[in-house]
Amino acid sequence: MMPMRTADKIMGIVLILLGVAMIWGGYVMDRLEIRGIHPASIPGLVPMGLGALIAICGGLLFASGKNETQDEPIDFGDMSKLLWTAGLSVVFAVVLIGRVPFAWATFLFIAAMTTRFTWTKGAGIVANRRALFFGLASGVFFSATISVLFRYAFLVRLP
Amino acid sequence: MGVFEQLFLAFGTFTTPIMIFHVAWATLLGIFVGSLPGLTATMGVALLTSLTYGLDRDAAILVLISMYVGAIYGGSRSAILLNIPGTPASAATSLDGYPLARQGKAAYAMGLATAGSALGTILGIILLVAIAPPLAAVALKFGSFEFFWLAVFGIVISGMLTADGNPLKGYIAGLLGLAVAMIGSEGIHAVVRFNMGIPELNGGIGLIPAMVGVFGFAEVLTAMSGSDGVILKAKKDHSRSVPRLADLVKYRLTIIKSGVIGTMVGIIPGVGEDIGAWASYAAARANSKEKEMFGKGSQEGLIAAETGNSAVVPGSLIPAITLAIPGSAPSAVLIAALFIHGIRPGPMIMIEQPEFIFSIAVMLFLATLAILIYGLSLTPLFVAVLRVPNAYLMPIIFSLCVIGPYAISQRLFDVWVMVFFGLVGFVLRKMKFPMPPLVLGIILGALLDKSLRRGLILSDGDLTPFFTRPISAGFAFLVLVVVLAGIPSVKRLIWRLIRNGGTNG
Repeated sequence: MMPMRTADKIMGIVLILLGVAMIWGGYVMDRLEIRGIHPASIPGLVPMGLGALIAICGGLLFASGKNETQDEPIDFGDMSKLLWTAGLSVVFAVVLIGRVPFAWATFLFIAAMTTRFTWTKGAGIVANRRALFFGLASGVFFSATISVLFRYAFLVRLP
Repeated sequence: MGVFEQLFLAFGTFTTPIMIFHVAWATLLGIFVGSLPGLTATMGVALLTSLTYGLDRDAAILVLISMYVGAIYGGSRSAILLNIPGTPASAATSLDGYPLARQGKAAYAMGLATAGSALGTILGIILLVAIAPPLAAVALKFGSFEFFWLAVFGIVISGMLTADGNPLKGYIAGLLGLAVAMIGSEGIHAVVRFNMGIPELNGGIGLIPAMVGVFGFAEVLTAMSGSDGVILKAKKDHSRSVPRLADLVKYRLTIIKSGVIGTMVGIIPGVGEDIGAWASYAAARANSKEKEMFGKGSQEGLIAAETGNSAVVPGSLIPAITLAIPGSAPSAVLIAALFIHGIRPGPMIMIEQPEFIFSIAVMLFLATLAILIYGLSLTPLFVAVLRVPNAYLMPIIFSLCVIGPYAISQRLFDVWVMVFFGLVGFVLRKMKFPMPPLVLGIILGALLDKSLRRGLILSDGDLTPFFTRPISAGFAFLVLVVVLAGIPSVKRLIWRLIRNGGTNG
């Protein structure tokens, strides 16, 4: 696990880069001279100011002094569970939605995630068949309910 | 028309059978959402916004307010039974609620929490009706200079009060929110900024997809990677669920004080219910005759925390309605919902729709009646709901996180925005960056940007009016004080001066 101090230092560098990028982006932004606008109202003014503040805060975070909480590791919980949840969710939302009809995509996601998290290694064939059955049943029931609710009650053209 | 006539009229509008039905289901759903660890009030209101799209204006706002009130109250269920606050707002509740439950007084603890929540909301409603109209009148005097400082003050105070020991992280979260708000077409010359060649970004980042990501997807990730709570199986519970009147009378001063503190915390931009609960709890403990009981099952502590967090709900709606500046994260979503339903919150509200504040007061009151009825009668049902495993619940929640933002705009791009904000929000939260300032930054970015540049146009590029106009100067001073108070060395110096002053005095 990464200690908070290291994570803060990395974040500090990211913020400095972001701040510099915003200052540059604001500086080269169209100043609309052709429209004769007041120079104090150029669109890049606030982004430049924010960029400067973000870079300063990034520098302060990078250099922030020692305190007792900074040596603690960041607690991401159970990494295996986290990666499974994030992976299945991203595949559902970014890959399946828009390519597979919504009801099918939702069924696949709910069934896969429920089964994955109720399936127990070494729990025996009966227990895991049960987990699979309830995962599939949950997928069928809730994908149908959500699809019908949004399609017919809220008149949403589903993806 | 007088206050009571306005309230009477609003009461008539919202007590039709269909409106009562909306209050009943939305508050119940809110209590379930709040009671389930991992589902927050903000997530509930954000997801429900997409479901209320097809309802008429009054019904939609009523449903969202009922969800908000129900969810903040519902957090106390799991705080008392599981020692896991259902929402961050109930963290202080678990300190005394859980020990009471361990002593076999779970039902009575839930009854006290219900009474505290109801009384806190009612006190907040009274203050809402009293404060909102004059505040809107004062806000009419605000110009670009004042709105600029108001936006800065909101970000700074929210960053300071919601940061977990390090205000710098709160300020950074606020600045990141402001940076997000810079994406898309700006409000004065309609120049598209930072769209990175993606046409979908020309209109900017939608608040609802960002909020659903930060408070929905990030919560799903947190809940699935953490461990489930265990329902308390302590001593057999023979306690009554209806609190004794004598107890409420005994703690009347605590209730009033907590209600006022909660409402005032609610008025401060972007701070929210958890701070309201902690502030009320700390004040009650400082003045209590039974200090030693706090943290060990103090009824006074439980009432203070619940009254405080519930009073924040009406309090947070005061700046949301009169200044379009949210007092809490759920009220930020409510502002977005108000715009979707054709209501323009801000100083003009008392001129354009003076009845609206009274409608909100009645909506809050009806939702409070609903929590009172549900809270005192449905305890076994709430316990049953708490037994639903995350493995079944979270996939359904995430499916709603996907379809909710899509339903509002019909754009797949908003689903991707939700995923992006969910992943980034999860990492930022784990690194102890608070999320309310980020959300507040996204909301206040346009106001800050337009107000600064309009002010500079009016003053012909001169910064002096930002510091010399009376209200601007007041806000500038407050911002300076808040920033200085967040610097550890300055804080130490102030404490030393106070101690020396006390010793010399």
